[in-house]
Amino acid sequence: MINLVVKNLTRRFGGLHALKGVSFEIDGPELIGLIGPNGAGKTTLTNVLDGAIKPNSGTVYLNGLRIDQLQPYEVARVGLGRTFQVTRSFRRMTVLENLYVPALALDRGHSRAEIEEKAMEVLEFLTLDHLRNEHARALSGGQQKLLELGRLLMLDPEVIILDEPFAGVHPQLMKVIYRYIERVNDAGTAIILISHQMDSIFTLCRRLLVLNYGDLIADGVPDEVKRDPAVIEAYLGVDDEETGAGQEGRAQP
Amino acid sequence: MTRERIPQAAGLALVLGFAIFPFVYTANDYPYIMHTLIACFFYAILASSWSMLSGYAGQFSFGHMGFTGVGAYTAALFSHYFYLSPVPTGFCTEFLIGGQYLVIVDAIGVTSSTLTQDCLRKALAVWDGSVQITPMPVWLGITLGTLMGGLFGLLIGLLVLPLRAAYLALFTLGFSEILRAALSAEISITRGQAGIELPYLFDAGITLFGRHFDKTDKLPPYFVMLFLLLFCLAIMLWLAKSKFGLFVRALREDQDAAAALGVNTTRYKILVFVLTSMMAAAAGAVMAHYIRIITPNNLMILQMSLVVAMAVIGGVENVVAAAIGAILINFALELLRNSFEIGPFTIDMTIWRLVVFGALLMVTLRFARNGLISPIIDYFTRGHVAKETVAKRVAGSETAEGPP
Repeated sequence: MINLVVKNLTRRFGGLHALKGVSFEIDGPELIGLIGPNGAGKTTLTNVLDGAIKPNSGTVYLNGLRIDQLQPYEVARVGLGRTFQVTRSFRRMTVLENLYVPALALDRGHSRAEIEEKAMEVLEFLTLDHLRNEHARALSGGQQKLLELGRLLMLDPEVIILDEPFAGVHPQLMKVIYRYIERVNDAGTAIILISHQMDSIFTLCRRLLVLNYGDLIADGVPDEVKRDPAVIEAYLGVDDEETGAGQEGRAQP
Repeated sequence: MTRERIPQAAGLALVLGFAIFPFVYTANDYPYIMHTLIACFFYAILASSWSMLSGYAGQFSFGHMGFTGVGAYTAALFSHYFYLSPVPTGFCTEFLIGGQYLVIVDAIGVTSSTLTQDCLRKALAVWDGSVQITPMPVWLGITLGTLMGGLFGLLIGLLVLPLRAAYLALFTLGFSEILRAALSAEISITRGQAGIELPYLFDAGITLFGRHFDKTDKLPPYFVMLFLLLFCLAIMLWLAKSKFGLFVRALREDQDAAAALGVNTTRYKILVFVLTSMMAAAAGAVMAHYIRIITPNNLMILQMSLVVAMAVIGGVENVVAAAIGAILINFALELLRNSFEIGPFTIDMTIWRLVVFGALLMVTLRFARNGLISPIIDYFTRGHVAKETVAKRVAGSETAEGPP
């Protein structure tokens, strides 16, 4: 059973309070949206969760194991994976090699043949199998987003943080990525989805976390969060009378 | 033979060619050509190990010649200062080890008047030929030089952990220059710019293929350097195909992303520094024993630039291409030494050859970022990929129902 407990996370950069005592818990394979205006602390939270930044105070436990002082590679190995806001595929390595990296880094004693078999399964799932021997730089932006997701799947993670997986992606491909995210989630992986695409967030997520200037100002189901006055003021905007579907897809930093 | 096997077959033919060359080449310039080839192999080790460090792992270092110097100077100092004696000298620092005295000669500098103050010379004068001292084995000096290179690689690797790109290059450049300055300054130990002499690789000669070779013969050092090159290339090619190779390439592409995917980037960054430093140091130690003198100028930035240029022209992302590039460039630079006349003008190629070399480097950087040899290897090994991709896509679109 997946259990991620984030307690009182605080992170300061000089005088800037990027995270102010953020606490939340994920129980089971939830699909959670993490939203907030630019500078709200979403990426800082991601970096703290994946070990790239150490918090000034607070704790993070994944399935009972404290992970906030671990290195990023250790966090990845215990089951928390992430993508980056700007796609960071290994451009001068083949698509298959991109997938081998996390599988071999896990070092779970699988043979090369087993790893290759799993990589091919992932590529077929993501419909990238025909590109397996191409360098990642030959892939389109959307395909690179899929490749990033594929790399994460090779980690067999319990929790995935997807940072802006729809940025710069064609609407058609976006819908394909939706389905992949849902499938991965259905397979038992908890997902934290960070996006400024409100349509995607409200379509996919069954729970929303809203950050604003380092404060977690809301944590609940999308319908409730949409009507939360603090969220409307901080992020969703108040220019429409209705704060529902009419303004979805319009994030106002 | 499949197309992918052609580079391997060509590589094997090249190795065989180098192996039989000394036995079939009989021209008058045999020693000169052999000397040139030994230098080619030396530069090939440096260029290929530098390509592993910079091309594979993305750690753009200017410290490689520094590591070569560490290996060479360790071997030189070891052979210069350490001896074994059956009886104590009474003058030098010495330790009884296994029935023999390990004698450490005092550092006394370079002037001829100080030579008589050498503690070992004093002892030899007293003994008047009644005691035989034993110099340290050359192989042990080379081994120590290699290990010392690895130790320095470890230290530099640890120090540059947070550094990337230009900062890393500048740091390693600083290391190399500091080392050169320190070796120049410590005249009493290193003899400064005068350099320090080393014994022959095979001081008593060696018997190979049923024939005795004198210590001055080129063939034994030729094969030592060739085997060292092949050994280094074999290790690097094996590593390149292993998860080590995969991880260091991931490190080059994106260190943060590699870490987020479970790669212990610190470990692999240090490992690649240690490994390539050891190779550079081993090459430096062997070369120093071959040319029999090492001076701080061997570590000059000009030498480092030459190694970088060789690797770039060959192809920095492929250790074999970098090695071939180094061999071709070094050989070409030697051949271009001959000056010639055009009418009343004499073209002094000793200078113009470097202009040709510089121009080739610029053209390569501008028009062939992967070097001149690497694309040829890629043509054979990856030339089929585009066709395969298209075929798979067509086959997929005919059978699949589309994306899930």
